[in-house]
Amino acid sequence: MNAVVFDVALTAYIVAAAAALGSLFGRREDLARFARLLTVAGWACHTGAIILRWVDLRRAPVLTLAEGVSVVIWVAVLFGLWIEHRYGITTFGAFFLPAILALGLGLPTGLRGLALEPQLQSGWAVVHVALILVGLAALVLNFGSALMYVLQERQIKAKRRGAFYYGLPALETLDHLTLVTLTVGFPFLTVGLVLGILQAWGVLQAGRSWGGLLAGDPLALFSLVMWLVYAATLSGRAVGLWRGRRAAYFAIVGFCVLLATLGAGAFFHGRHGS
Amino acid sequence: MIHTVFVAGLSHRTAPIDVREHLALDEDKLREVLSDVAGRGVCSELMILSTCNRVEVYGVAEVPGEAHGAAFRHMTAQRGMDFQALEPLLYTKTGPEAVLHAFRVAASLDSMVLGEPQILGQVKDAFALAQSCRVVGPTLHALMSQAFAVAKRVRTETEIGRYAVSVSFAAVELARKIFGTLDGKTVLLIGAGEMGELAARHLQDQGTLPVYVANRTWGRAQDLARDLAGTAVRYENFPSVMAEVDIVITSTAAPEPIISVADVEAVLRARHERPLFFIDIAVPRNVEPAVNDLANAFCYDVDDLRSVVESNLRERQREAQRGEGLVEREVGKFVDRLKDLEVVPTIVSLREKLEAIRRGEVARALGRLPGADEATKQAIEALSQAIVNKVLHGPTVKLRDSSRAGQGRRWVEVISEVFGLGAKSRTGPEP
Repeated sequence: MNAVVFDVALTAYIVAAAAALGSLFGRREDLARFARLLTVAGWACHTGAIILRWVDLRRAPVLTLAEGVSVVIWVAVLFGLWIEHRYGITTFGAFFLPAILALGLGLPTGLRGLALEPQLQSGWAVVHVALILVGLAALVLNFGSALMYVLQERQIKAKRRGAFYYGLPALETLDHLTLVTLTVGFPFLTVGLVLGILQAWGVLQAGRSWGGLLAGDPLALFSLVMWLVYAATLSGRAVGLWRGRRAAYFAIVGFCVLLATLGAGAFFHGRHGS
Repeated sequence: MIHTVFVAGLSHRTAPIDVREHLALDEDKLREVLSDVAGRGVCSELMILSTCNRVEVYGVAEVPGEAHGAAFRHMTAQRGMDFQALEPLLYTKTGPEAVLHAFRVAASLDSMVLGEPQILGQVKDAFALAQSCRVVGPTLHALMSQAFAVAKRVRTETEIGRYAVSVSFAAVELARKIFGTLDGKTVLLIGAGEMGELAARHLQDQGTLPVYVANRTWGRAQDLARDLAGTAVRYENFPSVMAEVDIVITSTAAPEPIISVADVEAVLRARHERPLFFIDIAVPRNVEPAVNDLANAFCYDVDDLRSVVESNLRERQREAQRGEGLVEREVGKFVDRLKDLEVVPTIVSLREKLEAIRRGEVARALGRLPGADEATKQAIEALSQAIVNKVLHGPTVKLRDSSRAGQGRRWVEVISEVFGLGAKSRTGPEP
């Protein structure tokens, strides 16, 4: 049942993404409104699907990779709708919805079965995963706003009005957005990863080396790389070096590593999935 | 009724500027023309729109040619012009075409600069003037109220007036695309060119404060700073001021660039890469063009700004297309309404007449039934009302249908004759 409701939600997101892209390219306000409506409807279905699954399994639905991605999408859509509303960016959907679908469409392809090893399904594991998922959701939006920044900056620099010039917001707004999403996402990601490391510590004391642990767990390895990229971006901004274009490029690189991390989780066997 | 609506005139599309400026009349003269032409009885309603881009007579008359002929003869006589010479420049439109023209003019779809906002105010002024001369009746009133409403819709539902179509406004628009809000942003103006000053003023209007002014001549910098309510800075100090401001406007007569790529690189480091926008209005250019390649620095010269204006004009044309569609639909609706207006008085007086008969008969009947209880009284009331409504239905529908089909006048005659309605309802509403 929850799978059906989830598919309905995903379908709504797909159609919404198409409408949002149509509105961006064709500059149609009505399509943007339609996309927003569909996104809200999809999100409501999605909420239903998560609750149904929760009731079904009698545990928080964040323990398989598929469940995790679903929660990332759920949080990201909520956050994205808020940003659209707060900053009045009607075209935001055209950027964050496809990014979300890049995650979501991976789900039907063999990801659904992945789950944590049963002995790891403790309460702390749930918190570890949940925090990281919220962080990832913010980082998806970080990618969306960075992409918008790069496109808009190119148009302004090239002194040509491209198709999106009129539809995209001001550069400073976008730069601010990449900063906000990063500062929201990064602490969640950090605390979530630290919790994961602490749990690994317990395993470590049972007699394995750190190197062996990371080598045997591609998801954890990629997560650390991803964390380093975002940490570098944030500190670069903090010292006033990387603003605007450079910060946006880093956000895009970070998202690629994020996708690779999930890919690693999906295609290599490790402690996080089997 | 619709065929009596007319517009006649000349505009930037048909007449050269020397004719337009010669024909333009001030308010007092317009009052004179309005009263005189209306006084001759050639038209029942009249309004004259006189701007630098058009002189047009709107009105309602059985023979439109007589009315606008009289108006233009009077106007040319006022200005000592030859009416014969003017005649070939005039266009005339009647009926739905006149309505369309009125809507398009008010919505700025017929303007020289598409979407310019002043025209609506000018039409409103012309309408107010005609009203004060008591030459506006129900038809012009309905036409103009609707024209104002349509103009507002075009402005809000399309983006016809959204993008800048002058170089200095284009600079403001770009600043907004870079910074978002301009509140609290600061401007440095180097040089005393007129366009530079204009751009600075437009930026100030957007809430950008304060302005710093640098000029090789210290006195000139002080004068300009006073004009702009800004601060004068020594010319040799401008590089250090650049680290503080967000927008730099250059318009000096220097033969070589005064701001180099290396300068801007240093400034950007000093300001922690906060974006810096150069508006280089000078020719030859004051800022090295390669500054635009630096991250977080943006540089537009006059040609760049002109090309922005051109693309914005294309944008307005695109939006105007949407506006035209909207206006056309509104014309259809309005024409139908106007046709209804022709038969509405007849419908009203028919209803009044039958209602009066009904009340009289009910009173008589009840007088003859002194013992009638409340239920009986109500039954009689309801019965009589039902009969009146059923009788009214046929003629009402016939009148509305015939007016839409353009034969309202004939059926107004017929029904007034058959039901013995007063002559008043036949001529339509009084002005």
